[in-house]
Amino acid sequence: MNEQGMQSAEKAVSQVLGAGSITWTSDVNGNFFGWVKLCDSKSLLSIAPPLAEIGARLMTVTAYGNDKFGRIAGHGIAYHFDLDGVVVTVSVCLPDSPPRVPSITPWFQNADWNEREFAELYGIILEDHPNPRRLFLDKGLDAAILDRLVPLSTMMNGASTSTLWEKVFAGKQLPEWTKGENNS
Amino acid sequence: MTSTTYTLPVGPLHVALEEPMYFDIQVEGETVRSVELAAGHVHRGMEALAMQRNYFQNVTLTERVCSLCSNSHPCTYCMAVENLSGILVPQRAQYLRVIADEVKRIASHLFNVGIMAHLTGFDSLFMHAMEIREIMQDAKEGVYGNRMNLGQCIISGCRRDIDDSTGPFLLGQLELLKPQLDELYGVFERDPLIRTRTRGIGLLSFEAAKRHAVVGPVARASGVAYDVRRKAPYAVYPDLDFEVQTDTKGDVHSRALLRLREAVESVKIIKQCLRQMPEGPINIKAIPPIPPGEAVARSEAPRGELFYYLRSDGKDTPQRLKWRVPTYMNWEALQDMLANCQVADIALIVNSIDPCISCTER
Repeated sequence: MNEQGMQSAEKAVSQVLGAGSITWTSDVNGNFFGWVKLCDSKSLLSIAPPLAEIGARLMTVTAYGNDKFGRIAGHGIAYHFDLDGVVVTVSVCLPDSPPRVPSITPWFQNADWNEREFAELYGIILEDHPNPRRLFLDKGLDAAILDRLVPLSTMMNGASTSTLWEKVFAGKQLPEWTKGENNS
Repeated sequence: MTSTTYTLPVGPLHVALEEPMYFDIQVEGETVRSVELAAGHVHRGMEALAMQRNYFQNVTLTERVCSLCSNSHPCTYCMAVENLSGILVPQRAQYLRVIADEVKRIASHLFNVGIMAHLTGFDSLFMHAMEIREIMQDAKEGVYGNRMNLGQCIISGCRRDIDDSTGPFLLGQLELLKPQLDELYGVFERDPLIRTRTRGIGLLSFEAAKRHAVVGPVARASGVAYDVRRKAPYAVYPDLDFEVQTDTKGDVHSRALLRLREAVESVKIIKQCLRQMPEGPINIKAIPPIPPGEAVARSEAPRGELFYYLRSDGKDTPQRLKWRVPTYMNWEALQDMLANCQVADIALIVNSIDPCISCTER
C-alpha cells in the first residue's frame, strides 16, 4: 500500500540492526505492519534517532508482562510508530528486578504521557525522563498494579474500605469476604 | 513564576468541563502564562478488566469506553482480533460498520460544535445544534434500537442488518438533516459573535501539531492532512468517494468548521453505502480460535486516530489489550494552544480539542 513508508522504515531499522531485522505482515486491505524485536532495552537509544529523522510518529507505547498476572517474571514494551500509513512496532525486552528502560522523549516529545503511564502500571523505572511523576494513578496506590491479579469479583464488589461494609451490614454479622485484604 | 502571576485552578469539577480534569494555570492579569495538567480522576482500570474477559465479552466492554465514539472502539477491537486470526468480514458487514461509524461521527461532531456555541454564550445556537443532532439520535434509535451504544459490531461482522424498512428510514433522516446541516454551517461560518469569540484563539501551528503528534480534526485544522480512512484504509473506505477536510488556520473556529464539513462528508458516505451495499451475510457463524501472536488495528474515530494493540497467548482472554484514544494525543498540545490566551477563552479552547476524559483514562 505505502511503499515509501515501508522503504524508509526498512532503511532506518537496517542501518542500526542490520538487514532482515524487520518483518512484515499485512491485512486484507493491503496495509503493512512492520515488526522489530530488540533484546536489549539500550538498543532503543540507537533506533529512536533514525526513526525520528525519517519523520516517524510515535502513536503509542504498550508495556506488558510475560505473564499477565505476574506469575512469570519479565516484561516487554512495544513502541508503535506510524510512517505515513505504515505501522512499525518495535518490541523491547526489559531486564528484571527492577525493570528499567531509557526514555525516548528527546526524540519523541509525545512519549512523555505514554512512558509515565506504563511506569506507574508496571513499576518500570524510566531513565532520563524529564518529568517522571505519576500520570493517572494516585501516589497512594501500589506500584505495578497491573502486574497483580485483582480478581474480577473483588473489582465488581466495588471493594473500597471495611467502613463501607460496616455501614451496609450495620447491626448484622459482617460476611467473611468483606474482611479480605483488598478491603482494608 | 514572578509575583505578578497567580495560580488559577480550573477543575477537576468545573461548570465549563464535561468531565473531570485539573488545570493548574498560571495567569498574569487576564493572560495565561503556563498550564499544567493533572489527570486520573475517572481512571477505571479498563485495560485490567479486558485481560480478565474473553474475546466476546471484550466487545461489550470496549463499547463502554466512551459514549460518543462507542462504535469506533468495538469496531477497531474487532478489527485487531480479525487481523490476528485471519477472519474475513463479509462485504455487507463492512458497509454496515462504515454506516454505524459515520452516523456516530455526525452526532459526535454536532455535539462538540453545540457545546462550543454554549461556551460562547450563544445558547439558542447550542439548542439549535442539539436539535439537529436529534435527527441522528432518532436515526440511531430507529435503526439500532439505542441512542448511544449501538451494539452493532461483533467479531466477524455486524449484529443487525439494515433492511427494507430501516434503510429508507435512515435515508429519510439524512435528507432531513442535510439542509439543516448546511444552514448550521453558514451560521457558524458567518455569525459575528461566533467569529469574534473563536477566530484567532487557541492557535496550534503546523510545526507544533507535528511535534505533539496530534490527531483528528485538531491535526487537520492545523494543516496535517492525516485521516486513517485514506492513509491506512479499512472496511470499504477505498470504494467510497469523500474528501479529507483540512485547514491551515489552526484556531478554535477552523476546528469547528472542519467538524461540520466532516459531518457533511459523512452524510455523503452513508448515502453511498446505502446505495452500493451488496446483498449477503452480515457475519460469520463459526469463529476460529484466536491464535497466539500480536496484531494492531486503526480507525478514524470522530476525534481522530484510534489505535488497538492485541497480544494473545492462545487462551480465550487477551494476554494484553491496549488502546490509545485520539484525545490522549491532543491534551499536551493544549499547553501551546492556551499560551497567552485570555482566561475567558480557556473553556472554549479546551472544548476545541473535543476532549474525552473517560477515553483518555480508561
